[in-house]
Amino acid sequence: MKKIRKMSFAAVTSIIVVSGALIITSAVQAKPPRSETQIAQERAALMTAVAKGDALWHSAKLGNNGLACANCHPDGSATNVHTWPKFQTNLGKVGTLREMINWCIAVPMQGRILEYDSEEMIAMEAYATFAHRGVAIAPAKDEQHGAVPVKSGPGYPRH
Amino acid sequence: MKKISRRQFLGMTTKAGAATVFAGIFAPSAASMLGLGGVAEATTKKIKPFTFAVLTDAHLYDIADHKFDHILEKAVSDVNSIRPRPDFVLYAGDLGQSGKKDELLKGKRILDKLKMPYKIIPGEHDYYLDMGKAWRGLFGDEHWSFNHNGVHFIGMNSILVPDFWTLKGLTPKERMGMMEELECHNCGAWGVGEKQLDWLARDVKNVSPHTPVIIMTHSPLWDYYPRWNFQTYDAPQIRETLRKFDKVISIHGHVHQVVYNEIGNMRSCGLLSTSWPWPYPPVELEYPHIKQRRADPGDFEDGLGSHDIALDADFGGTVHWREFSDLLPDNIKKGLKV
Ligand code: HEC
Ligand SMILES: [Fe+2]
Ligand SMILES: [Fe+2]
Repeated sequence: MKKIRKMSFAAVTSIIVVSGALIITSAVQAKPPRSETQIAQERAALMTAVAKGDALWHSAKLGNNGLACANCHPDGSATNVHTWPKFQTNLGKVGTLREMINWCIAVPMQGRILEYDSEEMIAMEAYATFAHRGVAIAPAKDEQHGAVPVKSGPGYPRH
Repeated sequence: MKKISRRQFLGMTTKAGAATVFAGIFAPSAASMLGLGGVAEATTKKIKPFTFAVLTDAHLYDIADHKFDHILEKAVSDVNSIRPRPDFVLYAGDLGQSGKKDELLKGKRILDKLKMPYKIIPGEHDYYLDMGKAWRGLFGDEHWSFNHNGVHFIGMNSILVPDFWTLKGLTPKERMGMMEELECHNCGAWGVGEKQLDWLARDVKNVSPHTPVIIMTHSPLWDYYPRWNFQTYDAPQIRETLRKFDKVISIHGHVHQVVYNEIGNMRSCGLLSTSWPWPYPPVELEYPHIKQRRADPGDFEDGLGSHDIALDADFGGTVHWREFSDLLPDNIKKGLKV
C-alpha cells in the first residue's frame, strides 16, 4: 500500500515537472476563480453537448426500424438517470446509464451501439442528465421518473 | 345524473327494453367502415346494453414487416375474440407514423380484418404530411356523430394547430417531422378549432340532455401535460357545449397509457397504444391509482393492448384496458366503472 502511494506520488511529480505550473495549481485545487467569460464558455460547451444529445435523441439514424429514443422517452423521461448504476434485468448485471443507452439502441431500435466514450455517447448522456437537473441522486431506486417539467422551448438554454 | 337504482331498473327492464330507441343502425359499407348513423334523438334514459371496442396509436411505419404491424394485427385478433362480440370498434388516431399514404393503407388493410364495422378519427401522425388528404381519402370525415342503442357517439379531430409552417417556409415533410416529435417546441397547442366547435353545437342542439354521450378525440379533453399536447386547447368550450348532458364519457388516444380523470359531467379515459407505452409526465394525477406499471423495454408488447367498453342499461360503463401483458394494478384488472 505504502509502496503504491509512493509510486503514484512519483508519477504525479513527473507530470508536474513536465507540464509546469498550471497543473501544479489545479492539482492542489488552488486555481484562482475563473473569469465570467471562462464560466460562460464552459457552460456553452456543455449546452452544445446537450443540444447534440437532443438531436441524437430525436434521430432515427441510431436505429434500424424508424424509431428514435424520443419516441419512447420524450424529454429524456423514464431514463431515470439519477438511479444508475443499478442492477438492470435486461443487462443482467449492475450496469451504467451508458450501458442502458446502448442496450436501448441495440434492442428496441435494432441499431448499432456507440463507443462508450464517444462524443455521441457523452452527448446522449449530457442531454438526458441535464433534463433531470436537480433530481436527487438515488442509486438503485425503483422508479419511473419524468424529466424536469418543461413549459416551452427545448428544455435547456440554447447558445 | 340521477342514478336509477338496480331495483328500480329491474322493475323497468321490459318496458325500458321496448322503449329503447334503436337509433342509428350501422350500415357497414363494403370497406367495413361505419355508416353515419341517423341523427334521430334518443328519447329515453335507458339504453340497450352493448359493448364496443377501442384501438389506437398503432404508429405504423412504411417499413415492411415492422414490429408494430404485428402488434396491431394482434390487437385486431384480440378484439375479434371478445365475447359477446362488440357492436363496433372505434379507432382514436395515429394509425400511421409519418402521415404517408402507404402507412395508412397498411393500417386500413389490418383494420379491415375486424369482424365488426369501425369508425376512426385522425391523430397528428396521420395528418401533417398532406394535411389529412390521404387520410380523408381512405376514411372520410374527420368528425362525425352517430347514435347507437340510445347513446350519442361523437368523434372529432383534436390535433389542429395554427399554421406554423408557411412563414418558416417548411416543406410538408419538415412540417410532419416537427409534428412527429412529442416535445415539438414550435408547433403550438392543438384543438378542434372554430368550425368543429360550431358543428358540435349544432350536432347536439336537439339531443336531449338525458341522452348518454360518448366523445372520442385523439388528445385528452383536459389539461394533463400541455408540453406533450396531452391537452386540447379548446376543450373548455367542448365541455361547455356538452355540459347540458347528464353524463359524458370521453375516450382519447395520444397518451399511450392508462390515465383517468373526471371534470364536470365528463369521465375521461386515456387508452393503450399498440406501439410503445409512454412514461407518465411530471405532474400530479387526480387519480394516481388508475395507472399502469412500468413496462419492460425488452418485451415489445408490454404496456400495449386493446380495449372494450361495456355499457349497461343505465349508461354505467365498464372500461377494460386489455393489456397484452400484466401491467395493470389489481384495482382496474377487472375494469374501471365510469
Ligand atoms: C420502443 C420504445 C423505446 C425506445 C425506442 C427506446 N426505449 Fe429506452 N426504454 C423503453 C421502456 C419502455 C423503458 C422502461 C421504462 C421504465 O423503466 O419505466 C426503457 C428504459 C430505458 C432506460 C432505463 C430506465 C431504467 O430506469 O431502467 C434508459 C436509460 C433508456 N431506456 C434509454 C433509451 C435510449 C437512450 C434510447 C434511444 C437510443 C431508448 N431508450 C429507446 C422503451 C424504449
Ligand atoms: Fe400516438
Ligand atoms: Fe398522437
